[in-house]
Amino acid sequence: MSAAPRRPGPGFLRGAWIVAAKDLRIEWRTLETLSAMVLFSLIVLVVFNFAFDLTTVRQVGAARLVPGVLWVTFSFSGIVGFARSFAIERHRDSLSALILAPVDRSVLFAGKTLANLATVAALEAFILPLSAVFFDYDLLSLFGPLVLVVLLHTVGLSELGTLFAAVAARVGRGEALLATLLFPVASPLFISAVKCTAAVLDGKPLSAVSSWMLMTAGFDVLYFLVAILTFEYILED
Amino acid sequence: MKGGKEILTVVLLAVTAVLMLGAIYMVFVYAPEERVMGPVQRIFYFHVPSAIVTFSSVMVLLVASVGYLSTRRAFWDNLSRAATEIGLLFCTVVLVTGPIWAKSAWGVWWTWEARLTTTLVLWLILAACLMVRGYAENRDQGARLAAVLGVVAALDVPIVYKSVDWWRGQHPVVFGPGKKEPLAPEMLRTFLFCLLVFFLLYALLLVLRTRVATLEDRARSLSETLGGR
Repeated sequence: MSAAPRRPGPGFLRGAWIVAAKDLRIEWRTLETLSAMVLFSLIVLVVFNFAFDLTTVRQVGAARLVPGVLWVTFSFSGIVGFARSFAIERHRDSLSALILAPVDRSVLFAGKTLANLATVAALEAFILPLSAVFFDYDLLSLFGPLVLVVLLHTVGLSELGTLFAAVAARVGRGEALLATLLFPVASPLFISAVKCTAAVLDGKPLSAVSSWMLMTAGFDVLYFLVAILTFEYILED
Repeated sequence: MKGGKEILTVVLLAVTAVLMLGAIYMVFVYAPEERVMGPVQRIFYFHVPSAIVTFSSVMVLLVASVGYLSTRRAFWDNLSRAATEIGLLFCTVVLVTGPIWAKSAWGVWWTWEARLTTTLVLWLILAACLMVRGYAENRDQGARLAAVLGVVAALDVPIVYKSVDWWRGQHPVVFGPGKKEPLAPEMLRTFLFCLLVFFLLYALLLVLRTRVATLEDRARSLSETLGGR
């Protein structure tokens, strides 16, 4: 008996795109994750405004306070999103179906990361203008460099977040384990993110923090490769 | 073969115990008192070797994790578990002895300086690795997830160090360029001796912990054979 002709699976990029599109379509129809993230980040921002009111912000300067506030908000809400990205698979046990897809496991990682990146970026698009309103800094004049800095660091955050969310989902734990894993490992990312954001808010050119940006770019690439190589071990049963 | 291993372990235990007593003698009697810092400087002979052992343990963790992922032999997993636990132990020693010294030398218990921050972050990462092992549904899963985390963690350590170093730095540099006065020869000898003893202690603990993990495996598989009690 000859084996049935195998249909080749999609390539890496196409496969990743299919996985990401699936997640984003679910998200678009329910808005379950994004609404939770938006509400949560709003609460975090409001709590920060209790801690640092506008007088304090004006005294200390937005460049000293806002970077920390922004990245705490992004990473906390990111945790909510990353944890959900594997929780939706657990719900109907569709992770097994996903694993059976005729693609390499690393494709699943790339797809999930892409979807998480898009979700967190959508959240950031909402938070950045809001923080400019709350903390009174001029977003429009800094828009280009700020977006570049935020996106570069969000890529690394999404990669590690996706990887660790898979680990946490495998052992049946949620946000608590994810945060315990993510925050220490991502600490270089946070230091760099705060440094670069502060430089941008100070009105310095991006070349002033080029070594941080380069380090982050290297971090993004390194952990993408590490995750691609190790993701199959996480999904294995 | 089996007996040979036992004898080697006992010899290692005896040698480490004797040399540890020697190290304590050297630290408190042989080494001269430091002019500026006084007796508190002697903590350096325990602090720095512990730190070097901690970071070596991360290297062992990396090798064991890669070894497990590529061969799937239980030995590598037991080694990586031992390296994580004992690394965490020495890391704790570093984090306890450091502030005791810092309070008297710098006037503060803690500062967010490159090596301190890196060590604290490493402590958190190692603890997280152990947490995942504890949560795992079965042994294989725990081993696989811990191996992946081991690779991620070990690669992270130099990056954390570099980033915090750029962020701020004020740790005393005892060795290397930029140091005008060299260490007194007695101090250097004491330090090198302590380093040797700490590595022996590390090796001993690593051997024993790996052995215990192997025995745990055997006990588990025996109880499964006998009907899972």
